[in-house]
Amino acid sequence: MKKIGLRRLSAIAAVSLSATVLAVIPAHAAGVTIKIITPNYTDAMPAYYEDLNARFMAANPDIKVEHTNLSWDDILVKGRTLVATDSTPDIMNLNTFSDYAAADLLYKATDIFDAATLADFVPAFINNSKYNGTAYAVPDLASARMFFYNKKLLYTSGVNKVPSTWAQVKKAAKKIKAKYPSVYPIALPLGSEEAQAEFAIWTGGNNGRYFDNASQKWVIDSKANVKTMKYLTSLVKAGLTQPSPASTNRTDAFKLFSQGKVAMINASVFFPSTLKDYKSKVDYGIAPFPHSKTGKSITLGVQDYFMAFKKPGNEAAVKAWMNFLFSPSNYAGFLKAAGGFIPATKSASSSVDSSLLPFIEQLPNAIFYPGDLAAWPKVAGALQTQLGTGVIGNPKAALAKIQKVAVAAGTK
Amino acid sequence: MNATDLVVRKVKKRRPANSILNALPWIGPAIALILFVVVWPAIELIKISMTEISSAGTLDGFNGLENFRKLFENPDLRTVAIRTIFWVFSVVLLTVLLSLPLAQLINQSFPGRKFVRWAMIVPWAASVVMTSIIWKWILELTSGEFNLTLQQLGLQDQPVDWLRDPRYSMYVLIWVAVFVSIPFTTFVILAGLQSIPNDIVEAAQVDGAGPWQIYRGIKFPLLRNALLIATIINLINVFNSFPIIWALTRGGPGYNTDTTITFAYKMAFVEYNMGPSTALGVINFAFIMAIVLIYLRVTKATRDQA
Repeated sequence: MKKIGLRRLSAIAAVSLSATVLAVIPAHAAGVTIKIITPNYTDAMPAYYEDLNARFMAANPDIKVEHTNLSWDDILVKGRTLVATDSTPDIMNLNTFSDYAAADLLYKATDIFDAATLADFVPAFINNSKYNGTAYAVPDLASARMFFYNKKLLYTSGVNKVPSTWAQVKKAAKKIKAKYPSVYPIALPLGSEEAQAEFAIWTGGNNGRYFDNASQKWVIDSKANVKTMKYLTSLVKAGLTQPSPASTNRTDAFKLFSQGKVAMINASVFFPSTLKDYKSKVDYGIAPFPHSKTGKSITLGVQDYFMAFKKPGNEAAVKAWMNFLFSPSNYAGFLKAAGGFIPATKSASSSVDSSLLPFIEQLPNAIFYPGDLAAWPKVAGALQTQLGTGVIGNPKAALAKIQKVAVAAGTK
Repeated sequence: MNATDLVVRKVKKRRPANSILNALPWIGPAIALILFVVVWPAIELIKISMTEISSAGTLDGFNGLENFRKLFENPDLRTVAIRTIFWVFSVVLLTVLLSLPLAQLINQSFPGRKFVRWAMIVPWAASVVMTSIIWKWILELTSGEFNLTLQQLGLQDQPVDWLRDPRYSMYVLIWVAVFVSIPFTTFVILAGLQSIPNDIVEAAQVDGAGPWQIYRGIKFPLLRNALLIATIINLINVFNSFPIIWALTRGGPGYNTDTTITFAYKMAFVEYNMGPSTALGVINFAFIMAIVLIYLRVTKATRDQA
């Protein structure tokens, strides 16, 4: 998942610097070279990998690691072009894996890890890493989302109880709007950065999903989803959200919240550290995400993946590197550098920061994207670019259009 | 036609193959470069547009015109194509209309002219992405200088979301594109103005023509070549313009501010719809080729005239 792009520029500078450093190291005489491509969850990632790879290469003199750190924007583009241009990496860290698995490009998780290591991954996360019943990737970290609110804006507007249903959200928003006309009571970032997540968490609380597991069908234009879209549209029409929700990105919404211009927002587990980065003075509270009259509160679980690409002669090397990364102390360092995410292994989960606990408590109620379908990356793309048009145009037509894309993409 | 021309013609007629061979060492490197950076990528583009591409990026074999069929089935292509035409023509027209008086202005001599000319060329010399990001900051919803100024002047109660509200965003994009196109256009027209011989203007003055008459009857017609070239180069630049749109709106909301260029990119790298995107790439390329051919025609015509 994308951690916000606040520090993207400096990250890019760091990337190019470390790329130069790597480039001047002379090629090892014998042995294998593996190419690894990872996204920068934070600025700390390149330094973490530099140290990790130095120690790895010292312990494995036959293996040379060529590591590229990319911003999320870049890796989402590059991940697609590398395969097409015959420069497939050996290991990649990404937010999707399924279409690579479907194209038969990946090692099975059992080829890379022994049973004991595999058993240490949180079962729900490893299940999401399966394509056709076989794990082709492993989770590296995960996030859950909750309802963040600005205490001062709520309490001084006469909202004494944190809203837990849609009706209460609307009522509270109206009170806030009446008291503070220049504040946007609810942030609704349905711009292309994270529209699929924003809609999933609202509609999840109304029993709406993108994919129905029982019938193995896309249900993007289901009644529940249309109802959710209509509810969100009613918030927009009543002026209770920030203007132009269809093109507001999550990063923009986060900034508004950090400046005290938004009272309620859906945000991820790393949001507290983002607020710290923004030097925000907002006193905020965290609550389970509100739901509709017929639904119940859920959270959206999102995970990323590590995957190893099948290439002649690289199996031993990728196996060694992946096991090195997931050894407890190195993995602890990874989580620290990535900043504020939920660990993907049971052993690391036992010693998490207490600020993560409310989010981990939500995990039993988590819904996930259908990330195990090869069609998911395509469908997610259509959701990202088009969902927002539902709240500024015709809610039903927007969902029907995406449903069509999903059906054409298939259910495998 | 004078004598030398005749001799050259005769030589050409007698030994055409030989003269091409003779020329090859001189034009060879240029031809090789063109083959490598223009022709080869174009062939690759056409080849890949007839290939099945999975969303993972694997090439799964020849599929004929399937990618084109899927592209034309896309319900949004039509509106995006119409918008692209609107975008190109409105930007180029506004640019030329604004550049004509500006060129006239900086052609006058006045104190500080050098500084004004220098200041005018900055938006062109600066990277387009940089200019776009500065405009993004200026027009930002709550912290942008534009909204803040309007509010301080009491012209606005609630800030307007210039870049994200589809009612305004396309016009904002057009303005920024005009802003970055004006310097180049103005300087091409200025060059045209400076090439007008002074004696013609003086002769007209002697005959009693007023400034407006001189402009309409003499200067403007003589600017024809400069205007044609400025227009056509702008057509190509504006059609190809990716960074302004991508930096300011990413073509959103939905496809509301996409042109066929950003649409092709969005299809490939946001929606992972590689096949139809390559088909659109071919169509974009064909459009550019058509404009380039017109450009070559026009420049040849004006050369022959001169």
